[in-house]
Amino acid sequence: MSQLCEDKELLEEFLAEATDLLDNVDDDLITLEKDPGNLELLNRVFRAIHSVKGNASFLDFELLVAITHKTEDVLNRLRKEELLLTPEVMDVIMEAVGLVKVLLRDIKREEIQDRPIEGTITRLAEILVALAPPPSSSDPSPPDMETGAPAPSVVRVVETESAPGFAPELPKAVTSEPVRKAPPAGETSPDEPTDKSTVRVDVKRIDDLINQVGELVLERNRMLQLHTEYQNGLDNSAFDEEFAKLAKRINFVTSELQAQVLKMRLIPVGNVFKKFPRIVRNLSRDLGKLVNLQIFGEDTELDRSVVDEISDPLTHLIRNALDHGLELPDERLAAGKQPGGTIVLSARHEGNRIIISLKDDGRGIDTERVAAKALEKGLITQEQLAGISQQEIFDLIFLPGFSTRDSASDLSGRGVGMDVVRTNIKKLNGIIEIKSAKGTGSEFILKLPLTLAIIQSLLVDVSGETYSIPLSAIIETLRVRQDEFHTIGGRKVLPQRHAALPLLNLAQAFAVADEVTDREYCYVVVVGAAEKRLGLLVTRLLGQQEVAIKSLGASLSNVPGIAGSTIMGDGRVALIIDPAKLIEFGEVRGGLRHRHH
Amino acid sequence: MTSTMTTKQGGYGAGAVIQLVNFLVDNEEYGVEVLKVREIIRMTDVTRVPNAPDFVDGVFNLRGKVIPIISLRKRLALPLVAYDSNTRIIVIDLDNDLTGIIVDSVAEVIRITSEDIQPAPEGTAQDNNGSLFSGLVNRGERLLILLSLDMLLNCYTLKSGDAVNH
Repeated sequence: MSQLCEDKELLEEFLAEATDLLDNVDDDLITLEKDPGNLELLNRVFRAIHSVKGNASFLDFELLVAITHKTEDVLNRLRKEELLLTPEVMDVIMEAVGLVKVLLRDIKREEIQDRPIEGTITRLAEILVALAPPPSSSDPSPPDMETGAPAPSVVRVVETESAPGFAPELPKAVTSEPVRKAPPAGETSPDEPTDKSTVRVDVKRIDDLINQVGELVLERNRMLQLHTEYQNGLDNSAFDEEFAKLAKRINFVTSELQAQVLKMRLIPVGNVFKKFPRIVRNLSRDLGKLVNLQIFGEDTELDRSVVDEISDPLTHLIRNALDHGLELPDERLAAGKQPGGTIVLSARHEGNRIIISLKDDGRGIDTERVAAKALEKGLITQEQLAGISQQEIFDLIFLPGFSTRDSASDLSGRGVGMDVVRTNIKKLNGIIEIKSAKGTGSEFILKLPLTLAIIQSLLVDVSGETYSIPLSAIIETLRVRQDEFHTIGGRKVLPQRHAALPLLNLAQAFAVADEVTDREYCYVVVVGAAEKRLGLLVTRLLGQQEVAIKSLGASLSNVPGIAGSTIMGDGRVALIIDPAKLIEFGEVRGGLRHRHH
Repeated sequence: MTSTMTTKQGGYGAGAVIQLVNFLVDNEEYGVEVLKVREIIRMTDVTRVPNAPDFVDGVFNLRGKVIPIISLRKRLALPLVAYDSNTRIIVIDLDNDLTGIIVDSVAEVIRITSEDIQPAPEGTAQDNNGSLFSGLVNRGERLLILLSLDMLLNCYTLKSGDAVNH
């Protein structure tokens, strides 16, 4: 038994370490490709693969050993400068690293299976074999080697499948050679083998936490003492004042404590971002596009549950930007742009939200084409199209089944990706905004809550009942005269700048006696879920409060429009509204899109 | 010893002693197994949950936990009365899932043996999936109705998208 436990511990340690090492390897490889002469980086990659191999052989993972062994060989040659790091070699190394990740994931899931690794191993071996013939000086010292040490033994091992006129000095590791076949296992981009059940916490944060708890203990002692003094009743004149002070301090300490504990769940968004350089590199090569990916704000921290959820949507958005957004180099030149496109991925905090933006300088969204496609696929009718705004056309791309492609490729065209984006963002109570101008590029802006456990919320009164609306889903609040409302197809709307805002009277939706209707003014809370907007009619706004989310229990978890509950200062329960669900129901009841059926 | 061998749906071992919490709803006596009762509290503030099934009164705060609460009168389609000082909430613990049920008053804890339980008559308090009663106990003058908690509590799980439409 203890033997088993020990083994399990060893295994976990191995997995954690290997995962860490491989994460860095990815980063290093990308950097290395831009700076092929960097021996220090090369050595680091080599050491990482070497340690993985060592541990794997100790634990008897044969496949893992086989693949890391060959990779290590290639890296070793590179490191000794017996081999030149060309994009082709890099491809194979990355493929191998990808495969290692797949194998590690199998081990982690305890589903070890026979993965086809021979292909990759053969390709690795080919590199080594190609090296075998004695260095023929057929290749004059390559121009891009600025290390000053183009040793005579350096041999270029290209010419296998690349175009003959291939020039290694292309900057961004991106070439416009014909589309090459994607490596089989590596390209399917294994989910990062992150471990969701454990958290790594900075020791400093734990120390801070201990300090805070220490203070809390002090305040508790003070409280106990105060109580004893009060009971002894010798001099109670100062009790009032002392107690007020104590309450203030406890308030302060607990708020700090709350913030500290919350921070422990935060991880830098860079954990998600770091896989993108690799994805962009591979994709851009496949597509024959020149891409410069710039990443900003990877230190921005957010809750790990949120991080887990945004990985997929961001991947889709990036693929989208590469595939649909950016043009081929020739087209870009023809449009008077630099041949290389730029994608900027950035994250920043704004209040208690995180804003993630993905911006490209490609061709932008062609609204006419989008509208035509939506019409063709029957996702929208001619009448609906007539009165639609530009923003609403952008929103069409989120419809399931929508695609501007005529046929599905490996990369895109099935009309699934943007639907995934929408679903995940909605799940997080987030908002998507699209800015796009034809010819100059698009920007997708995701606004997400920092954490899912404690949220900022707006408390509203709905005919005497108190509800809480997550602030992260609120776009604005309006005070509106009743006579500004219009009714379209039996549904109240509020005309606004771009489009009519559909309204939902919460008192009606929640079947409370409705007293809003006989007032001159009422309040509208405009909420958004992904790309959709809805105005919620409420009686009064009560103010903003930070609330801890409590579930309603399994049996009530599916109540429509209610996301959960929270306990107010007076001990009563207030329900938290689920804006995404309300928007969905609004549509079922005959929203703008469905009014002609 | 009073240890009871219990399984779901009231299948008890022969001769086992069962302790029941005995309570009143609309002048009828009911019983639930004491081991399923977490605690019994006085009526408290209840927050209505819109679009929940009508017998769900809402949710309440039990020392920081939010717990759904159902009215047994509504569940059994009995006439409604105002809550008074005798009204109690029996907090039921089914596999760590807590639910409060509102009853008119709680009487006592009684002991019976499994032989005392008679089957509930066919067709009483039928739900779509079966009877809400798991049996009857004849106690001299009085008849005590055993509630089937699984039926009572599990059958109200909503399918998403059920309501709001009207």
